[in-house]
Amino acid sequence: MIKLSGKYILKFLQNHYEFVQDAFNYSKPDFIIDSNILEKLIEEYNISNDPKISVTKLIDVKFCRQLPTKDFKINRSYADFLQFLFDDFTLDLPQTLKERYKTIFELFTALKTEPKASKTIVLIQNIINIIDVFLNDIHRQTQRLLSDTESLKVNADEYSDLSKRLEKAVFWIDEYIEPLNKILEKGHPESFYSALVEIQKYTSEKQYIADSFKLKREYNKLYGSVVYARAELDQNLQKLTRELRPLLDRIKSDSIILSGFYHFVENVDYPENYIVPIPSPIKKTKGSAIFKEFYSEAEFFVDQFNYKTSAVYYEEQVEELEWLPDSTYFKEQLLKEDKVEDFYLWCFDALKKHTDEITLSKYFSLTNLLLEEDLIAEYKTDERITIDLKDASIKIPKVRVYERVSN
Amino acid sequence: MREYPIEHNKIVSELLDGKFIISPSPLFYTIQELEDDYTEFFIKSFNYKLNLEAEFIYLSSDEVNEKRTRDFTLFLAILSRELDYSGKNFRDKIELGSFDINETEELLRQSSKWEILEKTTVSEFDKFIKTWRSKNLIEIDGNKFKFTKAVKLFFTFAMEIAEEKLKEKTNEEKATA
Repeated sequence: MIKLSGKYILKFLQNHYEFVQDAFNYSKPDFIIDSNILEKLIEEYNISNDPKISVTKLIDVKFCRQLPTKDFKINRSYADFLQFLFDDFTLDLPQTLKERYKTIFELFTALKTEPKASKTIVLIQNIINIIDVFLNDIHRQTQRLLSDTESLKVNADEYSDLSKRLEKAVFWIDEYIEPLNKILEKGHPESFYSALVEIQKYTSEKQYIADSFKLKREYNKLYGSVVYARAELDQNLQKLTRELRPLLDRIKSDSIILSGFYHFVENVDYPENYIVPIPSPIKKTKGSAIFKEFYSEAEFFVDQFNYKTSAVYYEEQVEELEWLPDSTYFKEQLLKEDKVEDFYLWCFDALKKHTDEITLSKYFSLTNLLLEEDLIAEYKTDERITIDLKDASIKIPKVRVYERVSN
Repeated sequence: MREYPIEHNKIVSELLDGKFIISPSPLFYTIQELEDDYTEFFIKSFNYKLNLEAEFIYLSSDEVNEKRTRDFTLFLAILSRELDYSGKNFRDKIELGSFDINETEELLRQSSKWEILEKTTVSEFDKFIKTWRSKNLIEIDGNKFKFTKAVKLFFTFAMEIAEEKLKEKTNEEKATA
Protein backbone atom coordinates (compact mmCIF):
# COMPACT_ATOMS: atom_id res chain seq x y z
CA MET A 1 0.00 0.00 0.00
CA ILE A 2 1.44 3.36 -1.02
CA LYS A 3 -0.99 5.75 0.56
CA LEU A 4 -3.02 5.09 3.69
CA SER A 5 -6.73 5.79 3.22
CA GLY A 6 -9.27 6.71 5.86
CA LYS A 7 -11.50 3.81 4.85
CA TYR A 8 -8.61 1.40 5.36
CA ILE A 9 -8.00 2.69 8.89
CA LEU A 10 -11.70 2.40 9.78
CA LYS A 11 -11.78 -1.12 8.39
CA PHE A 12 -8.71 -1.99 10.48
CA LEU A 13 -10.43 -0.66 13.62
CA GLN A 14 -13.61 -2.52 12.84
CA ASN A 15 -11.90 -5.83 12.05
CA HIS A 16 -9.65 -5.74 15.08
CA TYR A 17 -11.85 -3.87 17.54
CA GLU A 18 -11.13 -6.21 20.50
CA PHE A 19 -7.40 -6.18 19.92
CA VAL A 20 -7.32 -2.40 19.68
CA GLN A 21 -9.28 -2.12 22.93
CA ASP A 22 -6.87 -4.47 24.75
CA ALA A 23 -3.81 -2.62 23.46
CA PHE A 24 -5.42 0.69 24.42
CA ASN A 25 -6.14 -0.54 27.98
CA TYR A 26 -2.61 -1.84 28.49
CA SER A 27 -1.06 1.37 27.23
CA LYS A 28 -2.91 3.74 29.56
CA PRO A 29 -2.33 6.36 30.89
CA ASP A 30 0.67 7.41 28.74
CA PHE A 31 -0.31 5.28 25.72
CA ILE A 32 3.01 3.46 25.80
CA ILE A 33 3.00 -0.33 25.73
CA ASP A 34 5.80 -2.73 26.58
CA SER A 35 7.00 -4.63 23.45
CA ASN A 36 6.66 -8.03 25.18
CA ILE A 37 3.08 -7.30 26.18
CA LEU A 38 2.22 -6.15 22.68
CA GLU A 39 3.68 -9.30 21.14
CA LYS A 40 1.80 -11.46 23.62
CA LEU A 41 -1.45 -9.65 22.84
CA ILE A 42 -0.89 -10.22 19.12
CA GLU A 43 -0.11 -13.90 19.66
CA GLU A 44 -3.22 -14.50 21.76
CA TYR A 45 -5.41 -12.56 19.38
CA ASN A 46 -4.15 -14.46 16.32
CA ILE A 47 -5.08 -17.84 17.83
CA SER A 48 -8.78 -17.25 17.39
CA ASN A 49 -9.05 -14.43 14.87
CA ASP A 50 -8.80 -14.04 11.14
CA PRO A 51 -7.47 -11.90 9.44
CA LYS A 52 -4.37 -11.98 11.59
CA ILE A 53 -2.46 -9.03 12.96
CA SER A 54 1.27 -8.27 13.12
CA VAL A 55 3.56 -5.53 14.41
CA THR A 56 4.33 -4.55 10.81
CA LYS A 57 0.64 -4.18 10.09
CA LEU A 58 0.19 -2.01 13.17
CA ILE A 59 3.01 0.24 12.04
CA ASP A 60 1.60 0.32 8.47
CA VAL A 61 -1.72 1.69 9.62
CA LYS A 62 0.18 4.11 11.88
CA PHE A 63 -1.47 2.64 14.96
CA CYS A 64 1.84 2.81 16.81
CA ARG A 65 5.55 3.37 16.39
CA GLN A 66 8.50 1.90 18.22
CA LEU A 67 10.50 4.05 20.62
CA PRO A 68 14.30 3.71 21.08
CA THR A 69 13.51 1.89 24.35
CA LYS A 70 11.73 -0.82 22.28
CA ASP A 71 8.37 0.15 23.80
CA PHE A 72 5.55 1.01 21.44
CA LYS A 73 3.78 4.35 21.53
CA ILE A 74 0.20 4.58 20.28
CA ASN A 75 -0.29 7.35 17.73
CA ARG A 76 -1.81 10.45 19.37
CA SER A 77 -4.65 10.68 16.84
CA TYR A 78 -5.64 7.07 17.56
CA ALA A 79 -5.31 7.60 21.32
CA ASP A 80 -7.66 10.60 21.23
CA PHE A 81 -10.19 8.84 19.03
CA LEU A 82 -10.05 5.62 21.08
CA GLN A 83 -10.62 7.52 24.34
CA PHE A 84 -13.74 8.93 22.75
CA LEU A 85 -14.69 5.55 21.30
CA PHE A 86 -14.38 3.66 24.59
CA ASP A 87 -15.61 6.59 26.68
CA ASP A 88 -12.50 6.17 28.78
CA PHE A 89 -10.52 9.35 29.25
CA THR A 90 -7.24 10.03 30.94
CA LEU A 91 -6.95 12.87 33.42
CA ASP A 92 -4.77 15.86 32.59
CA LEU A 93 -3.52 17.95 35.46
CA PRO A 94 -5.40 21.24 35.59
CA GLN A 95 -2.08 23.09 35.23
CA THR A 96 -1.81 21.60 31.73
CA LEU A 97 -5.30 22.83 30.89
CA LYS A 98 -4.45 26.25 32.27
CA GLU A 99 -1.43 26.64 30.02
CA ARG A 100 -3.57 25.63 27.06
CA TYR A 101 -6.33 28.16 27.64
CA LYS A 102 -3.91 31.00 28.29
CA THR A 103 -3.19 31.08 24.57
CA ILE A 104 -6.80 32.19 24.08
CA PHE A 105 -6.00 35.46 25.85
CA GLU A 106 -2.95 35.97 23.64
CA LEU A 107 -4.85 35.24 20.43
CA PHE A 108 -7.75 37.44 21.49
CA THR A 109 -5.43 40.38 22.27
CA ALA A 110 -3.84 39.93 18.84
CA LEU A 111 -7.27 39.76 17.20
CA LYS A 112 -8.36 43.10 18.67
CA THR A 113 -5.35 44.93 17.19
CA GLU A 114 -4.94 43.05 13.89
CA PRO A 115 -5.42 45.41 10.90
CA LYS A 116 -5.28 42.79 8.10
CA ALA A 117 -8.51 40.96 7.27
CA SER A 118 -6.75 37.77 6.16
CA LYS A 119 -4.82 37.48 9.44
CA THR A 120 -7.99 38.29 11.41
CA ILE A 121 -9.74 35.31 9.84
CA VAL A 122 -6.89 32.96 10.78
CA LEU A 123 -6.91 34.27 14.35
CA ILE A 124 -10.69 33.74 14.64
CA GLN A 125 -10.41 30.18 13.34
CA ASN A 126 -7.64 29.48 15.84
CA ILE A 127 -9.67 30.81 18.76
CA ILE A 128 -12.66 28.69 17.73
CA ASN A 129 -10.41 25.62 17.62
CA ILE A 130 -8.84 26.25 20.99
CA ILE A 131 -12.22 26.82 22.63
CA ASP A 132 -13.39 23.56 21.15
CA VAL A 133 -10.37 21.61 22.33
CA PHE A 134 -10.67 23.13 25.77
CA LEU A 135 -14.37 22.33 26.06
CA ASN A 136 -13.61 18.78 25.06
CA ASP A 137 -10.88 18.62 27.73
CA ILE A 138 -13.17 19.91 30.46
CA HIS A 139 -15.89 17.50 29.44
CA ARG A 140 -13.46 14.57 29.50
CA GLN A 141 -12.14 15.54 32.93
CA THR A 142 -15.59 15.88 34.42
CA GLN A 143 -16.78 12.56 33.01
CA ARG A 144 -13.69 10.77 34.21
CA LEU A 145 -13.88 12.28 37.71
CA LEU A 146 -17.58 11.45 37.93
CA SER A 147 -17.11 7.81 37.01
CA ASP A 148 -14.09 7.41 39.30
CA THR A 149 -15.94 9.04 42.18
CA GLU A 150 -18.90 6.75 41.66
CA SER A 151 -16.59 3.76 41.91
CA LEU A 152 -15.11 5.16 45.12
CA LYS A 153 -18.60 5.64 46.50
CA VAL A 154 -19.75 2.09 45.89
CA ASN A 155 -16.61 0.77 47.56
CA ALA A 156 -15.20 -0.94 44.50
CA ASP A 157 -12.74 -3.61 45.58
CA GLU A 158 -9.65 -1.63 44.84
CA TYR A 159 -10.76 1.01 47.32
CA SER A 160 -11.75 -1.33 50.14
CA ASP A 161 -8.77 -0.02 52.07
CA LEU A 162 -10.06 3.02 53.92
CA SER A 163 -6.89 5.04 53.90
CA LYS A 164 -6.60 4.58 50.13
CA ARG A 165 -10.16 5.77 49.66
CA LEU A 166 -9.50 8.81 51.82
CA GLU A 167 -6.22 9.55 50.07
CA LYS A 168 -7.91 9.37 46.67
CA ALA A 169 -10.77 11.68 47.67
CA VAL A 170 -8.38 14.25 49.16
CA PHE A 171 -6.11 14.03 46.10
CA TRP A 172 -8.95 14.64 43.66
CA ILE A 173 -10.33 17.55 45.63
CA ASP A 174 -6.95 19.26 46.00
CA GLU A 175 -5.46 18.45 42.61
CA TYR A 176 -8.46 18.52 40.31
CA ILE A 177 -11.70 19.93 41.63
CA GLU A 178 -10.24 23.03 43.28
CA PRO A 179 -7.95 24.02 40.38
CA LEU A 180 -10.67 23.23 37.83
CA ASN A 181 -13.05 25.44 39.75
CA LYS A 182 -10.52 28.24 39.64
CA ILE A 183 -10.03 27.91 35.89
CA LEU A 184 -13.77 28.06 35.38
CA GLU A 185 -14.57 30.58 38.13
CA LYS A 186 -16.98 33.18 36.81
CA GLY A 187 -15.83 36.18 38.84
CA HIS A 188 -12.10 35.73 38.28
CA PRO A 189 -10.63 38.07 35.59
CA GLU A 190 -8.09 35.49 34.42
CA SER A 191 -10.40 32.51 34.27
CA PHE A 192 -11.38 30.77 31.07
CA TYR A 193 -14.94 31.83 31.74
CA SER A 194 -13.99 35.53 31.81
CA ALA A 195 -12.13 35.10 28.53
CA LEU A 196 -15.33 33.75 26.99
CA VAL A 197 -17.39 36.65 28.34
CA GLU A 198 -14.90 39.14 26.87
CA ILE A 199 -14.93 37.45 23.47
CA GLN A 200 -18.71 37.27 23.47
CA LYS A 201 -19.00 41.01 24.15
CA TYR A 202 -16.50 41.83 21.41
CA THR A 203 -17.95 39.55 18.74
CA SER A 204 -21.61 40.36 19.41
CA GLU A 205 -20.86 43.84 18.06
CA LYS A 206 -18.32 42.88 15.40
CA GLN A 207 -20.62 40.39 13.70
CA TYR A 208 -22.71 43.41 12.58
CA ILE A 209 -20.13 46.16 12.07
CA ALA A 210 -17.14 44.34 10.59
CA ASP A 211 -15.84 45.66 7.26
CA SER A 212 -16.76 42.84 4.93
CA PHE A 213 -19.40 40.17 4.68
CA LYS A 214 -16.75 37.46 5.03
CA LEU A 215 -15.44 39.00 8.27
CA LYS A 216 -18.98 39.39 9.62
CA ARG A 217 -19.57 35.71 8.96
CA GLU A 218 -16.32 34.72 10.76
CA TYR A 219 -17.18 36.86 13.79
CA ASN A 220 -20.65 35.33 13.78
CA LYS A 221 -19.13 31.82 13.90
CA LEU A 222 -16.91 32.82 16.83
CA TYR A 223 -19.88 34.39 18.60
CA GLY A 224 -21.87 31.16 18.19
CA SER A 225 -19.00 29.04 19.49
CA VAL A 226 -18.57 31.22 22.56
CA VAL A 227 -22.26 31.23 23.49
CA TYR A 228 -22.34 27.45 23.11
CA ALA A 229 -19.17 27.09 25.16
CA ARG A 230 -20.63 29.14 28.03
CA ALA A 231 -23.69 26.93 28.20
CA GLU A 232 -21.50 23.79 28.12
CA LEU A 233 -19.27 25.14 30.85
CA ASP A 234 -22.25 25.99 33.04
CA GLN A 235 -23.34 22.39 32.81
CA ASN A 236 -19.88 21.09 33.66
CA LEU A 237 -19.49 23.55 36.52
CA GLN A 238 -22.78 22.36 37.89
CA LYS A 239 -21.57 18.77 37.81
CA LEU A 240 -18.32 19.75 39.50
CA THR A 241 -19.71 21.92 42.24
CA ARG A 242 -23.12 20.41 42.88
CA GLU A 243 -22.41 16.73 42.37
CA LEU A 244 -18.72 15.91 42.51
CA ARG A 245 -17.55 18.19 45.27
CA PRO A 246 -20.23 17.22 47.83
CA LEU A 247 -19.82 13.56 46.90
CA LEU A 248 -16.07 13.66 47.43
CA ASP A 249 -16.42 15.66 50.64
CA ARG A 250 -18.85 13.06 51.84
CA ILE A 251 -16.51 10.17 50.96
CA LYS A 252 -13.71 12.03 52.70
CA SER A 253 -15.58 12.60 55.96
CA ASP A 254 -17.18 9.13 55.93
CA SER A 255 -13.76 7.54 55.50
CA ILE A 256 -12.42 9.70 58.31
CA ILE A 257 -15.18 8.48 60.65
CA LEU A 258 -14.62 4.84 59.70
CA SER A 259 -10.85 5.04 60.11
CA GLY A 260 -11.30 6.77 63.51
CA PHE A 261 -13.62 3.98 64.60
CA TYR A 262 -11.11 1.46 63.28
CA HIS A 263 -8.35 2.86 65.51
CA PHE A 264 -10.75 2.89 68.43
CA VAL A 265 -11.77 -0.76 68.01
CA GLU A 266 -8.19 -1.87 67.53
CA ASN A 267 -7.07 -0.11 70.71
CA VAL A 268 -10.17 -0.69 72.76
CA ASP A 269 -8.24 -2.23 75.64
CA TYR A 270 -5.65 0.53 75.67
CA PRO A 271 -7.51 3.81 76.21
CA GLU A 272 -4.19 5.69 76.25
CA ASN A 273 -3.90 4.91 72.53
CA TYR A 274 -7.22 6.54 71.56
CA ILE A 275 -5.33 9.87 71.79
CA VAL A 276 -8.66 11.66 72.08
CA PRO A 277 -10.63 11.09 75.29
CA ILE A 278 -13.83 9.12 74.79
CA PRO A 279 -17.04 11.15 75.36
CA SER A 280 -17.90 10.99 79.03
CA PRO A 281 -21.61 11.61 79.55
CA ILE A 282 -22.43 11.16 83.23
CA LYS A 283 -24.19 8.19 84.80
CA LYS A 284 -27.51 8.58 86.48
CA THR A 285 -26.94 10.76 89.55
CA LYS A 286 -29.56 10.68 92.24
CA GLY A 287 -29.53 12.85 95.32
CA SER A 288 -29.53 16.47 96.30
CA ALA A 289 -27.39 19.18 94.94
CA ILE A 290 -24.50 19.34 97.39
CA PHE A 291 -21.01 20.71 97.31
CA LYS A 292 -18.35 18.24 96.33
CA GLU A 293 -16.22 19.21 99.32
CA PHE A 294 -19.10 18.48 101.68
CA TYR A 295 -19.64 15.12 100.02
CA SER A 296 -16.04 14.00 100.51
CA GLU A 297 -16.00 15.20 104.15
CA ALA A 298 -19.25 13.38 104.85
CA GLU A 299 -17.89 10.26 103.19
CA PHE A 300 -14.80 10.42 105.38
CA PHE A 301 -16.97 10.79 108.49
CA VAL A 302 -19.25 7.89 107.58
CA ASP A 303 -16.31 5.71 106.65
CA GLN A 304 -15.16 5.66 110.29
CA PHE A 305 -18.17 3.53 111.20
CA ASN A 306 -17.82 1.31 108.25
CA TYR A 307 -16.25 -1.91 109.50
CA LYS A 308 -17.86 -4.29 107.07
CA THR A 309 -16.34 -5.21 103.77
CA SER A 310 -17.99 -3.08 101.19
CA ALA A 311 -20.54 -4.71 98.99
CA VAL A 312 -21.17 -3.49 95.50
CA TYR A 313 -24.71 -2.98 94.35
CA TYR A 314 -25.51 -2.50 90.75
CA GLU A 315 -28.57 -0.46 90.24
CA GLU A 316 -30.61 -1.73 87.33
CA GLN A 317 -32.16 0.87 85.16
CA VAL A 318 -35.91 0.88 85.50
CA GLU A 319 -37.43 1.50 82.13
CA GLU A 320 -40.24 3.93 81.89
CA LEU A 321 -42.87 2.29 79.81
CA GLU A 322 -44.16 4.84 77.43
CA TRP A 323 -47.08 3.86 75.27
CA LEU A 324 -46.08 4.00 71.61
CA PRO A 325 -48.41 3.74 68.65
CA ASP A 326 -48.60 0.47 66.76
CA SER A 327 -47.03 1.42 63.45
CA THR A 328 -48.49 -1.56 61.58
CA TYR A 329 -52.02 -0.44 62.46
CA PHE A 330 -51.38 3.13 61.37
CA LYS A 331 -49.67 2.02 58.18
CA GLU A 332 -52.80 0.06 57.27
CA GLN A 333 -54.86 3.18 57.90
CA LEU A 334 -52.49 5.20 55.75
CA LEU A 335 -52.67 2.73 52.87
CA LYS A 336 -56.45 2.77 53.03
CA GLU A 337 -56.34 6.50 52.27
CA ASP A 338 -54.94 5.83 48.78
CA LYS A 339 -53.10 9.17 48.76
CA VAL A 340 -52.40 11.57 51.63
CA GLU A 341 -51.77 15.18 50.64
CA ASP A 342 -50.27 16.37 53.93
CA PHE A 343 -48.57 13.41 55.60
CA TYR A 344 -47.42 15.09 58.83
CA LEU A 345 -50.82 16.62 59.49
CA TRP A 346 -52.42 13.24 58.79
CA CYS A 347 -50.15 11.62 61.44
CA PHE A 348 -51.19 14.25 63.96
CA ASP A 349 -54.91 13.82 63.22
CA ALA A 350 -54.63 10.01 63.25
CA LEU A 351 -52.96 10.06 66.68
CA LYS A 352 -55.46 12.62 67.96
CA LYS A 353 -58.22 10.03 67.43
CA HIS A 354 -56.50 7.79 70.01
CA THR A 355 -54.96 10.13 72.54
CA ASP A 356 -54.81 13.78 73.57
CA GLU A 357 -51.29 13.39 74.89
CA ILE A 358 -49.26 13.43 71.69
CA THR A 359 -45.60 13.44 72.66
CA LEU A 360 -42.64 13.90 70.39
CA SER A 361 -41.70 10.23 70.57
CA LYS A 362 -45.26 9.08 69.79
CA TYR A 363 -45.41 11.48 66.90
CA PHE A 364 -42.02 10.52 65.51
CA SER A 365 -42.65 6.84 65.85
CA LEU A 366 -45.60 7.39 63.52
CA THR A 367 -43.89 9.77 61.09
CA ASN A 368 -41.19 7.11 60.70
CA LEU A 369 -43.62 5.43 58.33
CA LEU A 370 -42.19 7.83 55.76
CA LEU A 371 -39.05 5.65 55.67
CA GLU A 372 -40.99 2.55 54.65
CA GLU A 373 -39.81 1.33 51.28
CA ASP A 374 -43.26 0.78 49.81
CA LEU A 375 -44.30 4.39 50.33
CA ILE A 376 -43.42 7.29 48.09
CA ALA A 377 -43.02 10.77 49.56
CA GLU A 378 -43.20 13.95 47.47
CA TYR A 379 -42.17 17.34 48.80
CA LYS A 380 -44.19 19.93 46.94
CA THR A 381 -43.48 23.31 48.50
CA ASP A 382 -41.14 25.00 50.95
CA GLU A 383 -44.17 25.92 53.05
CA ARG A 384 -43.97 24.91 56.73
CA ILE A 385 -46.70 24.69 59.32
CA THR A 386 -46.31 24.53 63.08
CA ILE A 387 -47.73 21.64 65.05
CA ASP A 388 -47.99 21.84 68.85
CA LEU A 389 -47.25 18.57 70.58
CA LYS A 390 -47.33 17.94 74.29
CA ASP A 391 -43.59 18.39 74.75
CA ALA A 392 -42.51 20.31 71.66
CA SER A 393 -43.58 22.62 68.87
CA ILE A 394 -42.28 21.56 65.53
CA LYS A 395 -42.25 23.10 62.08
CA ILE A 396 -43.05 20.61 59.39
CA PRO A 397 -43.19 20.63 55.59
CA LYS A 398 -46.12 19.55 53.47
CA VAL A 399 -45.41 16.08 52.13
CA ARG A 400 -47.61 14.03 49.84
CA VAL A 401 -47.49 10.27 50.41
CA TYR A 402 -48.82 7.39 48.38
CA GLU A 403 -48.18 3.70 47.95
CA ARG A 404 -45.46 2.53 45.59
CA VAL A 405 -46.90 0.47 42.78
CA SER A 406 -44.86 -2.72 42.77
CA ASN A 407 -43.61 -4.14 39.48
CA MET B 1 -32.83 34.65 95.09
CA ARG B 2 -32.77 34.42 91.29
CA GLU B 3 -35.68 33.24 89.23
CA TYR B 4 -35.58 29.84 87.58
CA PRO B 5 -37.37 28.94 84.34
CA ILE B 6 -40.54 26.86 84.71
CA GLU B 7 -38.76 23.80 83.27
CA HIS B 8 -35.84 24.08 85.71
CA ASN B 9 -36.73 20.97 87.69
CA LYS B 10 -37.17 18.91 84.55
CA ILE B 11 -33.95 20.18 83.00
CA VAL B 12 -31.90 19.35 86.09
CA SER B 13 -33.42 15.94 86.70
CA GLU B 14 -33.16 14.84 83.05
CA LEU B 15 -29.55 15.93 82.73
CA LEU B 16 -28.61 14.39 86.07
CA ASP B 17 -30.21 11.16 84.89
CA GLY B 18 -27.49 11.17 82.24
CA LYS B 19 -29.98 11.93 79.46
CA PHE B 20 -29.26 13.84 76.30
CA ILE B 21 -31.67 16.71 75.66
CA ILE B 22 -32.28 16.94 71.98
CA SER B 23 -33.60 19.75 69.80
CA PRO B 24 -36.44 20.53 69.15
CA SER B 25 -37.37 19.79 72.76
CA PRO B 26 -38.47 23.03 74.50
CA LEU B 27 -35.93 22.19 77.25
CA PHE B 28 -33.18 22.46 74.64
CA TYR B 29 -34.05 26.04 73.79
CA THR B 30 -34.45 27.06 77.44
CA ILE B 31 -30.94 25.81 78.24
CA GLN B 32 -29.62 27.45 75.08
CA GLU B 33 -31.02 30.81 76.20
CA LEU B 34 -29.57 30.41 79.69
CA GLU B 35 -26.34 28.73 78.65
CA ASP B 36 -24.04 30.72 80.96
CA ASP B 37 -26.30 30.30 83.98
CA TYR B 38 -26.69 26.56 83.55
CA THR B 39 -23.00 26.02 82.81
CA GLU B 40 -22.16 27.69 86.09
CA PHE B 41 -24.95 25.92 87.94
CA PHE B 42 -23.82 22.43 86.97
CA ILE B 43 -20.11 23.02 87.46
CA LYS B 44 -20.56 24.64 90.88
CA SER B 45 -23.18 22.23 92.19
CA PHE B 46 -21.90 18.93 90.80
CA ASN B 47 -18.60 19.60 89.06
CA TYR B 48 -20.23 18.50 85.80
CA LYS B 49 -19.55 20.13 82.47
CA LEU B 50 -22.57 21.24 80.44
CA ASN B 51 -21.97 20.45 76.76
CA LEU B 52 -24.12 22.46 74.42
CA GLU B 53 -23.80 21.12 70.88
CA ALA B 54 -25.69 22.26 67.78
CA GLU B 55 -28.48 19.73 68.21
CA PHE B 56 -28.15 18.21 71.68
CA ILE B 57 -27.08 18.93 75.23
CA TYR B 58 -25.57 16.63 77.88
CA LEU B 59 -23.55 16.66 81.07
CA SER B 60 -20.08 15.17 81.20
CA SER B 61 -17.44 14.64 83.79
CA ASP B 62 -13.75 13.81 83.48
CA GLU B 63 -14.03 11.67 86.55
CA VAL B 64 -16.50 9.34 84.93
CA ASN B 65 -15.02 6.11 83.67
CA GLU B 66 -18.12 4.83 82.03
CA LYS B 67 -17.65 1.42 80.48
CA ARG B 68 -21.10 1.55 78.98
CA THR B 69 -20.13 4.60 76.89
CA ARG B 70 -17.14 2.66 75.64
CA ASP B 71 -19.52 -0.21 74.79
CA PHE B 72 -21.86 2.11 72.92
CA THR B 73 -18.95 3.51 70.90
CA LEU B 74 -17.82 -0.02 70.08
CA PHE B 75 -21.33 -0.95 69.02
CA LEU B 76 -21.58 2.10 66.76
CA ALA B 77 -18.10 1.55 65.31
CA ILE B 78 -18.78 -2.05 64.40
CA LEU B 79 -22.27 -1.32 63.10
CA SER B 80 -20.83 1.43 60.85
CA ARG B 81 -18.16 -0.97 59.61
CA GLU B 82 -20.66 -3.70 58.80
CA LEU B 83 -22.99 -1.28 56.99
CA ASP B 84 -20.07 0.08 54.98
CA TYR B 85 -18.90 -3.42 54.07
CA SER B 86 -22.35 -4.32 52.81
CA GLY B 87 -22.17 -1.35 50.46
CA LYS B 88 -24.64 0.84 52.38
CA ASN B 89 -24.13 4.49 53.10
CA PHE B 90 -23.59 3.99 56.83
CA ARG B 91 -23.95 7.62 57.85
CA ASP B 92 -27.30 8.12 56.11
CA LYS B 93 -28.58 4.87 57.52
CA ILE B 94 -27.51 5.70 61.08
CA GLU B 95 -28.53 9.35 61.05
CA LEU B 96 -31.82 8.92 59.21
CA GLY B 97 -32.87 5.29 58.92
CA SER B 98 -34.37 2.81 61.31
CA PHE B 99 -33.07 -0.64 62.28
CA ASP B 100 -34.83 -3.87 63.04
CA ILE B 101 -33.63 -4.89 66.52
CA ASN B 102 -33.32 -8.63 65.76
CA GLU B 103 -31.75 -8.13 62.33
CA THR B 104 -29.20 -5.71 63.75
CA GLU B 105 -28.25 -8.14 66.50
CA GLU B 106 -27.85 -10.85 63.86
CA LEU B 107 -25.69 -8.55 61.70
CA LEU B 108 -23.40 -7.87 64.66
CA ARG B 109 -23.21 -11.52 65.68
CA GLN B 110 -22.05 -12.44 62.18
CA SER B 111 -19.33 -9.79 62.26
CA SER B 112 -15.75 -10.91 62.79
CA LYS B 113 -15.65 -8.31 65.55
CA TRP B 114 -18.42 -9.99 67.55
CA GLU B 115 -15.77 -11.54 69.77
CA ILE B 116 -15.11 -8.05 71.11
CA LEU B 117 -18.79 -7.12 71.48
CA GLU B 118 -19.79 -10.33 73.21
CA LYS B 119 -17.62 -9.38 76.19
CA THR B 120 -19.51 -6.10 76.60
CA THR B 121 -23.02 -5.00 77.54
CA VAL B 122 -23.92 -5.25 73.84
CA SER B 123 -24.16 -9.03 74.29
CA GLU B 124 -27.58 -8.61 75.90
CA PHE B 125 -28.80 -6.63 72.96
CA ASP B 126 -32.41 -5.91 73.99
CA LYS B 127 -31.30 -4.62 77.36
CA PHE B 128 -28.49 -2.63 75.78
CA ILE B 129 -30.87 -0.89 73.38
CA LYS B 130 -33.30 -0.09 76.20
CA THR B 131 -30.54 1.35 78.38
CA TRP B 132 -29.55 3.78 75.67
CA ARG B 133 -33.16 4.66 75.01
CA SER B 134 -33.34 5.84 78.60
CA LYS B 135 -30.45 8.21 77.77
CA ASN B 136 -32.23 9.52 74.65
CA LEU B 137 -29.53 8.19 72.33
CA ILE B 138 -31.95 5.72 70.79
CA GLU B 139 -35.69 5.71 70.09
CA ILE B 140 -37.58 2.43 70.03
CA ASP B 141 -40.72 1.80 68.00
CA GLY B 142 -42.05 -1.74 68.27
CA ASN B 143 -39.30 -4.00 67.00
CA LYS B 144 -37.38 -1.18 65.40
CA PHE B 145 -35.01 1.42 66.74
CA LYS B 146 -33.37 4.53 65.42
CA PHE B 147 -30.62 6.79 66.64
CA THR B 148 -31.28 10.32 67.83
CA LYS B 149 -29.18 13.29 66.77
CA ALA B 150 -26.96 12.74 69.83
CA VAL B 151 -25.25 9.92 67.89
CA LYS B 152 -23.25 12.63 66.13
CA LEU B 153 -21.21 13.03 69.33
CA PHE B 154 -19.63 9.65 68.63
CA PHE B 155 -19.01 10.44 64.96
CA THR B 156 -17.17 13.57 66.07
CA PHE B 157 -15.12 11.44 68.46
CA ALA B 158 -14.13 9.12 65.59
CA MET B 159 -13.22 12.08 63.36
CA GLU B 160 -11.03 13.54 66.10
CA ILE B 161 -9.17 10.24 66.53
CA ALA B 162 -8.62 9.95 62.76
CA GLU B 163 -7.38 13.52 62.49
CA GLU B 164 -4.95 13.01 65.37
CA LYS B 165 -3.71 9.82 63.72
CA LEU B 166 -3.23 11.67 60.42
CA LYS B 167 -1.23 14.37 62.22
CA GLU B 168 0.89 11.67 63.86
CA LYS B 169 1.51 10.04 60.50
CA THR B 170 2.46 13.35 58.84
CA ASN B 171 4.88 14.13 61.67
CA GLU B 172 6.46 10.68 61.37
CA GLU B 173 6.86 11.14 57.63
CA LYS B 174 8.46 14.55 58.17
CA ALA B 175 10.82 13.07 60.73
CA THR B 176 11.98 10.31 58.37
CA ALA B 177 12.23 12.62 55.34
